[in-house]
Amino acid sequence: MYFFVGKVLPYITVAILLGGITWRVWRWTIGRIKFNITIPPFPSSWPAAVLWIVWQIVSFWNVFKFDRPLWFGAWPMHVALAAIGGGHVLGVYTLGMQFHLLLPWLVTEHQSEAASNFLGTVFGIIFFVALLYLLYRRLAIEKVRVISATSDYLHLLLLLAIVGIGDYMRLVKTASLHYDEARHFMAGLFTFNPHPLPDNFFFFLHFLFVQIMLLIFPFSKLMHPFGILWNRWIINRPYQQPPMGMPGTKITL
Amino acid sequence: MPKKVLSDGTEISQPNRAVDRLMKRLHVREVPDEEKPAMAVRWLDYYRKDRRSLTLAMEGCVKCGVCAEQCHAYLGTKDPNNIPAARADLMRRVYKRYFTVQGRLFGKLVGAVEMTMDVLEKWYSYYYQCSECRRCGHVCPFGIDTCEVTMAGREILWALGFVPELQGAASAMVFERGNQGGMTQAAIVDTHEFLTDEMEEERGFRIEFPVDKPNSDILYVPSSADYLLNAETLKGAAQFFEYVGANWTISSYMLEAGNFGLLTDQRSVQRELVRRLWWSVADLGIKKVVFGECGHGWRAWKMYTETLTDYAVAGPGYTYTKVPLVNIHQEVVALLKAGKLKLDPKNNRLAPVGTYVTLHDPCNYVRADQLGDVFRYVLYNSVPAVREMYPIKEKNFCCGGGSAILYDDPEMYNLRIKFFQKKADQVRASGANHICTPCSICKAQFYPMVKEHNLTTEDGKTIMPVNGLIDFLGAALVFKGHRQI
Ligand code: SF4
Ligand code: SF4
Ligand code: SF4
Repeated sequence: MYFFVGKVLPYITVAILLGGITWRVWRWTIGRIKFNITIPPFPSSWPAAVLWIVWQIVSFWNVFKFDRPLWFGAWPMHVALAAIGGGHVLGVYTLGMQFHLLLPWLVTEHQSEAASNFLGTVFGIIFFVALLYLLYRRLAIEKVRVISATSDYLHLLLLLAIVGIGDYMRLVKTASLHYDEARHFMAGLFTFNPHPLPDNFFFFLHFLFVQIMLLIFPFSKLMHPFGILWNRWIINRPYQQPPMGMPGTKITL
Repeated sequence: MPKKVLSDGTEISQPNRAVDRLMKRLHVREVPDEEKPAMAVRWLDYYRKDRRSLTLAMEGCVKCGVCAEQCHAYLGTKDPNNIPAARADLMRRVYKRYFTVQGRLFGKLVGAVEMTMDVLEKWYSYYYQCSECRRCGHVCPFGIDTCEVTMAGREILWALGFVPELQGAASAMVFERGNQGGMTQAAIVDTHEFLTDEMEEERGFRIEFPVDKPNSDILYVPSSADYLLNAETLKGAAQFFEYVGANWTISSYMLEAGNFGLLTDQRSVQRELVRRLWWSVADLGIKKVVFGECGHGWRAWKMYTETLTDYAVAGPGYTYTKVPLVNIHQEVVALLKAGKLKLDPKNNRLAPVGTYVTLHDPCNYVRADQLGDVFRYVLYNSVPAVREMYPIKEKNFCCGGGSAILYDDPEMYNLRIKFFQKKADQVRASGANHICTPCSICKAQFYPMVKEHNLTTEDGKTIMPVNGLIDFLGAALVFKGHRQI
């Protein structure tokens, strides 16, 4: 089992993830954008349209405007996710030195590792709490419950499991895994020379659940970061209005 | 129509269905019941490959629930199937079952269901409770436009033979007479004469309506409903064209700003209107087409004409860019801003001093073209006082009549009253005593609904009057002598 999850599954996962995303996006491009069915605001140029899309994505503007309570769960959740995702890559790759490498004259190596640990813990907790809140919301608010399928809950539970285990490894010394162990393992995967999984049951679970998530990613609503780009590409585009002024009138513009 | 009972015992309301004779006039052949589900899946496959907007609406929703409280249909009825995401889910579940990996593998777990007659009956109920107002699309963080789902759903139903009598009858008239009201040329001319007489009484001079006049520069395309319900809007437009001294005409071959094709059957009914438009343009030597008051109509002409104008419809040479399509409000505002129209808001026949007008922004005008400010520019200059409702402009709620779900049978009429609930609350809170709405479907919904919801003026007895925007403009125009030139 350790062998499969640590040495074989990762390659399958990545292949299915990338292949799946490509396939799904390809499917979206079969139908054409037939009509210019845009929605306000009506930008007059492409840069303005793209700016609006970017603004929608980074701020969750529509959620903020039309469903404030959801925004307080969803936005921090996604920010924490982005921070943690970045943190995993940088922290593991630089062994927690990312801040030192970025600002060498300001941050010492020791401080960088402490900051990395601290931010990881804080965002991990924010992530977990926000997910719990989203789950609560899906169960408690009737109008959201009635539109939810079982899979909507399972997605949340899966994320909760991943984040919960991660947080546990952060907070409980005996369960934690050092950056260098993780890096050693990942380096093996990337160089197609896989090393055995670190001997840590929590890491095993964490790693397994992440792979399950990546496996279902292309075949579920988790694709929504791509979906928002493709959908807003249809509805946020510039429109040129025909010039005003009527021909042949006695009173003209 | 009595309520439809599904196989699990639930009751749903549906609009009356067209009889076979009517469907023949629409070139629709009803698919036998036992073949309908399979046929519907094939149609769904066709539309998902045809329109990217539908595929994305099917695959992009995360069920966040932002749209729920934003749909007047859900707010008014509290029927969970009227939550936009749930409305789309009626189709999405089937879509998942047939066209996605997860739906085929996991079925119920991801909410996938088989296509059955029950599903289609539900479609026929709930896709005709959606007014295609796109408020859900406006608020959805992903921009998922449930209206696209409603439209595809209705088109599939239409092709299978689920044709509502009201939309069917109006569409048949489009094929036969070029307008949804079924007006003949004689009836049009008759109405014009009557209105000209009326304006002579009010103004002291005659303002004629040219019909099918060759070599005209401007084709004015009113909503045919104006002839039956909103004569003031026609008068307003005539006064405006007279004021600016336009060489204009109305075509009896193409007398429809509205567009039921957009709402139910784009493949043939909407194409027919586009064809009639370009033929009239060619026959009458038109240089610019000005559309009258109609919300969804303007959305159709603005957003769909270009794609639907192909060689087969328009013939070579008549393209979108050659003859511009505009709506009357934008032309009025351009002239107003240039200081070329003299208006006297204090002396308005339709809105005497003491009138507080509130403006209902027709969804399709504001969410397809952001005309909120344009309307306000005209209104504030034409009437003595305005009292705004909340929310307005592109955030406005639909009146509940959109996409012509203006059914009269008791079941659907009851729903119509509920759909209007949000609007009634908005109007009441505004403190106005006169309603302005520049859309003929909105007007058709408001006329009976102000009574049903007992929206009265200050005296508590008089029901609030409803007018279009051009009505007020026409009545506020100041003519110096006969011609203002
Ligand atoms: S707001 Fe958009 S993503 Fe959210 S449930 Fe509604 S349609 Fe789906
Ligand atoms: S288009 Fe309007 S009526 Fe239809 S689901 Fe959306 S908000 Fe509701
Ligand atoms: S009827 Fe009026 S308010 Fe309702 S969808 Fe049409 S334009 Fe919108």
